[in-house]
Amino acid sequence: MKRNDGFEAKELPAALRETLPDVYVDDLLVSIKYFIDEEHPHLWIEDHAICARCQYKPCLDFCPVNVYTLAHDGKIQVAYQACVECGSCRVGCPYGNISWQLPRGGYGVAYKFG
Amino acid sequence: MNTTDERIRFDVIVVGAGLAGSAAAMVAARAGLDVALIERGQKPGGKNYFGGAIYTHAIAELLPDFMSRRPPFERPVTEAGFWFLGADGLTRVTVQGGKLADGTPDAYTTLRAPFDLWWAEQAQKEGAFLIPKTTVVDFIREPDGQVVGVKTDRPQGELYAPVVIICEGVNNLLTQKLGLSEHDLEPAHLALGIKQVIALPPETINARFGLPDGDHGLAASVLGNVSLGLPGMGFVYTNSKTLSVGLGVMLATLAEYKLKPYEVLERYLKHPAIAPLVAGGQLLEYGGHLIPEGGYHDMPKLYTGGALVAGDAAAMVNALHWEGTNMAIIAGKLAGETALEAHGRSDFSQRVMAGYAERLKQSFILQDLKQYRRFSQFLDTHPEFMDIYPTFLNDALGDFFTAYGRPKKELFKGILGSLTRRRSLLGAAGDLISMGRAVLGW
Ligand SMILES: Cc1cc2nc3c(=O)[nH]c(=O)nc-3n(C[C@H](O)[C@H](O)[C@H](O)COP(=O)(O)OP(=O)(O)OC[C@H]3O[C@@H](n4cnc5c(N)ncnc54)[C@H](O)[C@@H]3O)c2cc1C
Ligand code: SF4
Ligand code: SF4
Repeated sequence: MKRNDGFEAKELPAALRETLPDVYVDDLLVSIKYFIDEEHPHLWIEDHAICARCQYKPCLDFCPVNVYTLAHDGKIQVAYQACVECGSCRVGCPYGNISWQLPRGGYGVAYKFG
Repeated sequence: MNTTDERIRFDVIVVGAGLAGSAAAMVAARAGLDVALIERGQKPGGKNYFGGAIYTHAIAELLPDFMSRRPPFERPVTEAGFWFLGADGLTRVTVQGGKLADGTPDAYTTLRAPFDLWWAEQAQKEGAFLIPKTTVVDFIREPDGQVVGVKTDRPQGELYAPVVIICEGVNNLLTQKLGLSEHDLEPAHLALGIKQVIALPPETINARFGLPDGDHGLAASVLGNVSLGLPGMGFVYTNSKTLSVGLGVMLATLAEYKLKPYEVLERYLKHPAIAPLVAGGQLLEYGGHLIPEGGYHDMPKLYTGGALVAGDAAAMVNALHWEGTNMAIIAGKLAGETALEAHGRSDFSQRVMAGYAERLKQSFILQDLKQYRRFSQFLDTHPEFMDIYPTFLNDALGDFFTAYGRPKKELFKGILGSLTRRRSLLGAAGDLISMGRAVLGW
């Protein structure tokens, strides 16, 4: 099936999908150190109307720290504080609907091990 | 630094104190140039991420005496190779040794936060001026496009230099801003790498991995039942007191199949052959980073008047071998040397900057990237190399070495059958031929 938003959705056999364990992402996040810039988010959604039309919303899946979640009102919410600046959403949003900047100097993820 | 006429001037500005950036700064500063090394993190290393193992040949090219400078390595890689994960078994194909001709280990397992900090300190020792907590946001250019400096996010944060070396890593916003690459890399050419650093007592690591002591370490690339049969590869590195265990999956694959990367990683950590290796360990850090896997065809233009690009920013990674650190370091060095030549001639035009591309062509970097240019394309079209064959190999060996009390002839038929159920023999032969072509670059 060709996605209206530019790439093909593919099916994983259900038996294989069932082998994926549930993960509580907060258990992972507590291990990461950040200098959070409370005043200046470095990520935001450009146009929520585009998200509403985005059929598969891949940002909800590929972000390694679950920054993008669906709010009760169906809007995408962005917990930019948890971002590890990998850049996946910058190139992975099929509509280029995420405004992506580097955090201001000194802010953002600060790996202790890396 | 020279501030007459109010402008802050350097001979060279390097953007990013990663592996490529500090290498470039080291070379230019050692030759006596005034070098600014600008890093957006609190300190060098905090933004940087990999598997991983660092290759010593590259470090030795800049610092022949590197061991006496006490680099924060973890363990020498004394065993390296592939692990093939089956449904629940594991086949190891590893080699021991891994020493260069002079007896130095060819690679060390490493953690990037301490290593890149040390690496930047070596550049500072040569006289490079580190400017941390500062993000470069744009360039200062002459009307004809010649780059003459950078704009940072600091107040009055404009810095001038006739050469700017861009070592910004995989999210190459500045490289794109200069027009050296016209668009972002595609999700099909980017792997998202995630890992867990897991603490375990050194004796436990030694016992579980069959290592005699802390001067022995393992680097394994893990194929097969890692990424649900989709293009991807796992890894296990033994550090001194931790393990680095993770995997890379193509970003396009995560999107297309609606996969959450941390669930794929957790599934891999729970595999019956992996779980006992990490059991009882404490998670010290989780994280993620993109790997530009497109290689040769994804490389931007490498220079323009007054500017050069090195490392991940220029897609200099050999994905099959997890080689990126050495390419970044050597490319940084070659960029530093080009800056030096330009200063020697007082000519910062494209013509002199082009010498950088020439130097890269003479080095292993462009030669290897060219040879492997078909490889990522190949994996796109032959996902079986990431799954069916590794799984087959493990299952077949399992059969081979199990005494079932059945005639061997029957057994071999069974083994072959388990492959042909997965892939026709003719298909398999064709795959082998195209794999050979992709690696050898025919
Ligand atoms: C999961 C994973 C596993 C890997 N495993 C291995 C391995 O085992 N062996 C290996 O050799 N390679 C490995 N690689 C590849 C290797 O890590 C990279 O190729 C290498 O780090 C590239 O170095 P770099 O200097 O080009 O970029 P980076 O190390 O990314 O450095 C870029 C630097 O620039 C800074 N920066 C960026 N933009 C700005 C700006 N605008 N202003 C100021 N500063 C800026 C960043 O903060 C950072 O310090 C792996 C990669 C990943 C993701
Ligand atoms: S941010 Fe992009 S991927 Fe996510 S829902 Fe909106 S349009 Fe879709
Ligand atoms: S950059 Fe990476 S970590 Fe940050 S929000 Fe985007 S996908 Fe998530």
